[in-house]
Amino acid sequence: MLEIRDLLDARLKALLYGILVTLAILFTGLYFFQVIHADKYVRLAYGNRLRLIRFSPPRGEIYDRNGVPLAVNETTFSIMGYPLDLDKSDMLPHLSRLLSDHGIPMSVEDLEKTIKKQRWAPYRVIRLVPNLTMAQMAELVADPEFPNQLFPMPVWRRIYPAGSLAANITGYVGEISENELRDSRPGDYVGGDLVGKGGIERYYEERLRGAAGEEAIEVDAKGRKVRTIDSRASGKGQDIRLTLDMGAQKLATELLSEYKGAIVVMDVKTGAVLVLASSPTYDNNPLAWGVSAKEWQEITEDKDKPMLDRSISGVYPPASTFKALVALAALEENVVTPSTTFFCSGALKLPSRTFRCWKRSGHGNVNLTGALQNSCDVYFYQVGMKLGIDRLLKWGKKFGLGTPTGIDLPGESGGNAAGPEWKKERFKENWYQGDTINYSIGQGFLLLTPLQIARLYAAVANGGHLVTPHVASMNFQPPTEIGLLPEKLAVVQKGLDYVVSRGTGARAGRFGITVAGKTGTAQNSHGLDHAVFAGYAPADNPQYVAVAMVEAGEHGSSVASPIVGEILAHILSHPAESYDAQEN
Amino acid sequence: MDTLRFSVLKEDLAALDKLLFGSVVLLIFWGIACIFSAGSGSAGRGGEYAIRQLSWGVFSCMAYVLVVGIGYRQFMDWAYPIYGVTLLLLFATMLAAPRVKGAQSWFSLGFIRFQPSEFAKISLTLVLAKFLSRYPPLSPKPFLGGLGVGMPALLLVLAQPDLGSALVYIVIIFSALFVAGTPFKYLGSILGLGASLLPFGWFYLKEFQKMRLLVFLDPTRDPLGAGYNAIQSRIAVGSGSVWGKGFLQGLQSKLRFLPEPHTDFIFSVYAEEFGFWGSSLLLFVFGIIFTRIVAAGMKSRDIQGKLIVAGVTAWIWFQMFESIGMSIGLMPITGLPLPFLSYGGSSLLSIAIALGLTGSVYAGAAKRYK
Repeated sequence: MLEIRDLLDARLKALLYGILVTLAILFTGLYFFQVIHADKYVRLAYGNRLRLIRFSPPRGEIYDRNGVPLAVNETTFSIMGYPLDLDKSDMLPHLSRLLSDHGIPMSVEDLEKTIKKQRWAPYRVIRLVPNLTMAQMAELVADPEFPNQLFPMPVWRRIYPAGSLAANITGYVGEISENELRDSRPGDYVGGDLVGKGGIERYYEERLRGAAGEEAIEVDAKGRKVRTIDSRASGKGQDIRLTLDMGAQKLATELLSEYKGAIVVMDVKTGAVLVLASSPTYDNNPLAWGVSAKEWQEITEDKDKPMLDRSISGVYPPASTFKALVALAALEENVVTPSTTFFCSGALKLPSRTFRCWKRSGHGNVNLTGALQNSCDVYFYQVGMKLGIDRLLKWGKKFGLGTPTGIDLPGESGGNAAGPEWKKERFKENWYQGDTINYSIGQGFLLLTPLQIARLYAAVANGGHLVTPHVASMNFQPPTEIGLLPEKLAVVQKGLDYVVSRGTGARAGRFGITVAGKTGTAQNSHGLDHAVFAGYAPADNPQYVAVAMVEAGEHGSSVASPIVGEILAHILSHPAESYDAQEN
Repeated sequence: MDTLRFSVLKEDLAALDKLLFGSVVLLIFWGIACIFSAGSGSAGRGGEYAIRQLSWGVFSCMAYVLVVGIGYRQFMDWAYPIYGVTLLLLFATMLAAPRVKGAQSWFSLGFIRFQPSEFAKISLTLVLAKFLSRYPPLSPKPFLGGLGVGMPALLLVLAQPDLGSALVYIVIIFSALFVAGTPFKYLGSILGLGASLLPFGWFYLKEFQKMRLLVFLDPTRDPLGAGYNAIQSRIAVGSGSVWGKGFLQGLQSKLRFLPEPHTDFIFSVYAEEFGFWGSSLLLFVFGIIFTRIVAAGMKSRDIQGKLIVAGVTAWIWFQMFESIGMSIGLMPITGLPLPFLSYGGSSLLSIAIALGLTGSVYAGAAKRYK
């Protein structure tokens, strides 16, 4: 045993000697670099002649389902320079003077601010003046006063040909903010880069942005390029094809032009969104070029909120359109059968309070299809009470109410479909029967986005499949099964058919197509009632679902239903060739 | 019982190697100063990093005392279970860890992220000491057994892929075998085998790892990417010249010529600001540390103690040699932290635990023969 310990000690000693030898090697190496060749490295460090230029890649372009361009790129020019050169005392005043001589107002302070924002390392190029046209740039470069340390560089500018018609969907790009820069993955962005700030531009930023190119050059003492040391070409971002139908979108925007509100049209089987109109709207082109603080304030502080996408972020009481879900829940829970009737005298009298039907004279004896057809409130009051709030909420949840639908756009709202617990927490009040009664005709605390209503009606139309709405065609996700019995669904479908063929929604059926749907008039405590209509067509073989929400439109039957009828007729008579082939 | 334990701990702490402890604390403070300097450029997070490193330093000191108190013999009893848990963690990291710079070496545990690959260095050292003291590698069978014990950890860390840690594991395994008395013909044949497998290893490397190696051979190959670091680091070290630019005066790191100056390239920051005399002093202090750790092993009568010392020494040495070597272009860039100085809690804590083990070996040897 003793011998092996001696062996181990000898080996440990050898290990230590080996280590000390490597320390000596490092010592020699450091002596070589820090003493013998120190001059060379000091020179390299102070006179760093390396310059890096970054080329922004062209962004991926955005098209509608038929290839209509929604976001494209256009070449403009920027004046670039290096911090090392710009630090020279008279450079900025000289440049500012030169620019104003050529009609480009840019003060020394503006330039300093621009430099400060992008300063990252002294050898990294900075964009001093953006967005110059070819003519402006040519004139500047031809001027003998133009400093030779600065140089022009072509950059891409974003153009939105559809402008305000689809601003809520495409969104816009803008210069990356300091916070966004800090939160981004290192190396992905530098100051001055454009990033998506809203809509598709933001949601699909990763896909659209492409890869920046770089070039390393060696420069002489005057900052002129001597040679290229290394370069890497930029890569264009990926294009995105939307499911949007610009023809229909344009029609929807026109139909809404006199109102505030939203229109949603969706393929009932896939959830592909064809129309997502919100009114009032805004032009996204100026935002992409950089607006002044004042202009920005005007848009964001407009009391009509043009930048709010009412179709996915606006929440409204679904009003009578919600009756389709109450009817389905009642049938599925065996609370009523198709032949169950209630007597409507024009009001439901409870000990505490009287709930009126919209038709004061009453509907008499009504069954389910009749109640849908004539939108009888009393029938649904009775059904709602029998069903109870818990079962009502359970069915709301099955149709995805109360949570965002998952559409591929930022800022979607989930609405509110919460019950007693939520009320207790929020208002410190118990849930009353009256609350349930209000819910059963789509009023009260219930709030849905137009998109959520469209998704609900898509499920009714397609046989009980809950689709995921999407605007980018590659983002299709298979629908999930809600689990509805076909014969019960058929009763509700028949009721919705009657609404248009012989009931309150007759005006939706005057455009040469068969529509099934439901009208609604949402009470608005701030002013005139909102009009809403949700419907699908053709009634016997549903393909598309549409929802029109018209703020202060007063009556769903007269204002909202013809909008839905017209837009569905337009889409059915202008089928999209390319898109359907892609997805089916 | 408690008072007995406490007095044993007090006795152990009194018997500790003061010179070694002092050198280590000096290096940690030096490191915090460099981290502060490295982060004090335009990004301005130097203070934040320094404070975090300081708290890790305090935490590591407590861990060190705790390990000395428990004693290395206790750890030896648990060597196999500890190793088993570590292997599981390495496996979990491989499956689940979020990607940081392409390699999956981080493992998030709620509020702290730690690297199992760091702590695996400890358990690898322990398990090798246990196995090789029981079965001395004097004949082929136990020699191959020793290799077999270390292999799972090595393969798991290679799969992450974390080439830097894998190299540390290889050095630990080789040194433990060497000190355990393996005949030179075995060691020679394993070296020969490794050298002959090297060309095949090339195909296994990821693209960025290949680039780093190619750039090591020729830094101008990719001056924008991987070679850029090598060139700029060499400029930083070289421009420090004899006396250095002075604390907080280093330009290369402040102007962000150097990537990640507070972690992988901390030596470049140090060498630029403190020059050749500072670098030499740093090497000298490292020399003291190695000498003192090995002295603990020589002093101990316990073979297990000697083998622990061998593993820990080799581990700290390799990371130091690689980290300083790469900053002057003597070694390829692998991204290994410089022990005691680089920013990073996992690295500091695991080294403190390892030093606690060698401290306990030293204290044990001093006590028995008093």
